[in-house]
Amino acid sequence: MGFIILIARILVFLSMSVLTLYAIRHYWFAWTRLRLRKAKDTMELVGFVNPTLTVLVPMHNEEKVAADILQALADNDYDKSKLEVIPLNDRSSDGTAAIINQFAATYPFIKPHHRREGRGGKPAALAEITGRLTSEIVLLFDADYVPGKGMLKMLVAPFADPEIGAVMGRVVPYNTGDSLLSGLLSLERASGYQGAQQARYNLGFTAQFGGTVGGVRRKALEAVGGWNPDSLTEDTDLTFALLLSGWRTAYVNRAECYEEVPQQWSVRRRQLMRWVMGHTACLHDYWPDIVRAKFLTAREKIECFFLLGMYWTAPWLVIGWIASLVLFFTIEAHYVPILMIAMTLVGYQLFANQSNFLEMGSALLLDGNRKRVLLMPLNLLNFFANIGATCHAMAQFYWARITGGKGAGWDKTRRTRAAAAGGAGSFGLSAPREKAREE
Amino acid sequence: MAFIVFSILFIGLLYSHFSLAHMVWTQARGRNSAELDMDYVRIEDYFGQSFRGKVEEWLKLPYEGSRTGAMRVIDRGVEKVIVAGKGMFPEGRRERLAMILEDDFVCGPDCHFERELMVSSNVHVGHGTQLQALACDGSAKLEKGVTVRRWLDVAGPLEMQADCRVISKVCSQHSIYFGPGSETLSLFAPEIETEGRFESLSQSVSEPREVLLIPHAANITEPSHGYDPKLLYSMGGGSYLYNGSLKLTAPLHVRAPLVVKGDVETMEGSMIEADMKVKGCVKIGAMSMIRANLVSDGDMELGQGVFFQRVLHAGGGILLKYGVRGLGQTAVVVYASKMLTVESNVVVRGKLASGDKVKAISSPLAWLKHPAGDI
Repeated sequence: MGFIILIARILVFLSMSVLTLYAIRHYWFAWTRLRLRKAKDTMELVGFVNPTLTVLVPMHNEEKVAADILQALADNDYDKSKLEVIPLNDRSSDGTAAIINQFAATYPFIKPHHRREGRGGKPAALAEITGRLTSEIVLLFDADYVPGKGMLKMLVAPFADPEIGAVMGRVVPYNTGDSLLSGLLSLERASGYQGAQQARYNLGFTAQFGGTVGGVRRKALEAVGGWNPDSLTEDTDLTFALLLSGWRTAYVNRAECYEEVPQQWSVRRRQLMRWVMGHTACLHDYWPDIVRAKFLTAREKIECFFLLGMYWTAPWLVIGWIASLVLFFTIEAHYVPILMIAMTLVGYQLFANQSNFLEMGSALLLDGNRKRVLLMPLNLLNFFANIGATCHAMAQFYWARITGGKGAGWDKTRRTRAAAAGGAGSFGLSAPREKAREE
Repeated sequence: MAFIVFSILFIGLLYSHFSLAHMVWTQARGRNSAELDMDYVRIEDYFGQSFRGKVEEWLKLPYEGSRTGAMRVIDRGVEKVIVAGKGMFPEGRRERLAMILEDDFVCGPDCHFERELMVSSNVHVGHGTQLQALACDGSAKLEKGVTVRRWLDVAGPLEMQADCRVISKVCSQHSIYFGPGSETLSLFAPEIETEGRFESLSQSVSEPREVLLIPHAANITEPSHGYDPKLLYSMGGGSYLYNGSLKLTAPLHVRAPLVVKGDVETMEGSMIEADMKVKGCVKIGAMSMIRANLVSDGDMELGQGVFFQRVLHAGGGILLKYGVRGLGQTAVVVYASKMLTVESNVVVRGKLASGDKVKAISSPLAWLKHPAGDI
């Protein structure tokens, strides 16, 4: 019994330590944003930096959303003589190819690439096309995203800085009213971008490339060996590959782009599990290089570990809870009220899939969404769902490592735009706009 | 019974924690986000364009009284707008209404215009006058000490004499003369100049002489002139990283994209042909040539007669010294997160902007040629 109590005490101590450190980190981020100092950005350079540009749009069975993004890209204000848009049709079996070809016939700068064989998944498709690109900058959008007219110029502006290897814009869910989950995920996205990404960028840390609504300097991409087709999160993988070679990722908060967030808990769970496994794989792949990195300061290295280890907080929280229960049912019961309070406080740092209550509230206030702040208590549902999915993914990831199994494969997030048609106003095209009018 | 009452109370108490959230969700359900402006395109003269658009709308509204008199009044409901031909205002005049003038606007010293002005022809503003905002389709001259509380948008040449102050943006489709002591948030025009423009000094930039090349030749292995070849690393993709500071005693010639982890001080006659990032502060020696983008996290100083062609962007302040020229094939931009200070005889084709303020100061060298005549 003494041994069990000792182990429980150690686990509670470790759990509390890890969670407290993360809590401090997130309070620091929230404080950075709440001080309302002008955010670091390159908006004054917009329109003055015009490199040759390729926009890649990976698509796999995207007939519900393909026309919206292609029309949005056709309508953007970037110099068309320096722009090519490549819809990357990855073995679609629905009407995606036909929609793409219709747009290509209407707009000469849309140059489709149809994949009919080879390894599936976005990283593999990106790896295949990248070697053929010649432009200076490559931007990426997932097919369910709808970039605004001025967005491409905003995203290329940071590349005036030769240290910038990648850039990340902001993701804003448009289907916020379709389900409670999508409403809660909009809070989470605000927290992650308006809060954490901008805070990290303001503090001099590299932002995290998210694989969509962002892009990369082609030469930097080639320098680090291109996309990693074996990674479930090729974006995180690329962020760290670039960072370790001396390149940084910039964040452009004003480059906001609509996305469709999952409306069903099962879809969200699969998405989160993929992120957890990919992210944790990056932790294992890159930690020795981060320790040895010549170009990173100690402060930057610590932040790298915080970022890559962030999904470990969920198992630590569960471990802390279980160890507290063990202590409760043993002679240490008098510790439990203190532990309960402490665990509740630090547990809030996980409130929104890696941001805390204060950070989420701050982000919503900065966005001017005062009313939606009131929705935050319901995010407890998301909090518990996140913990379950994260722990499950962690278990699956480490089990696969122990047994030498393959782990999870690529899982495409399901689109539901047809069900949401009319919601955001301008979505739901199935052909180029001019053609749609003619018909 | 007690258990049931307790349960109901407990559930009620628990629900009260979530009641506001539930109410907000009930209201938001089924209504998707429309918070982004998908048509947003960043343009420099947004304020002027937007105001001109509003004026067009106002002119469609009914007039009070006759439509043909010398001065007419539009009642917008929330306020009245004066529409007149020529506007001549004596010293100390105070005007509380917005005005649309279809001819020139001339005002004496120390006037005060509390609302926006739209002028279809030329503008002359007396010294010490305060304006709210001004859109002008002709040329504009602001005498010494004029303050504009918001923005200035001028189609023709704009002359801002000494100590003028514009709180927000200044735009001209032709040119801006930015007098000494004047300050604003940003200036945008095909040509911006400060006092004492004198061409012959800054046009004589030549190719650098014996220089430090980065990346260096393969046979260079020992440190020289403040440059240590062992600190230069390839980032791949033809870019390089210098893991230290460069305090150089010979002119520098940068031939490939370069990131410097410390401060940089270059000698006179340096040449920067590829994009350069300095993590600390950077001082570019006089008569140097910058043909690519120059970015720093700290302060930036361009010495006398430096010629640049693209983007200057600093996380700190920027000082453009006497004779600096920003003349690219396309518009150039200079942005400082802190103060952007511009000395005399500086000419920039494009934009000068700051997170704090852009301020023109007199340089001791301005005596070479003064706007009032050679001294």
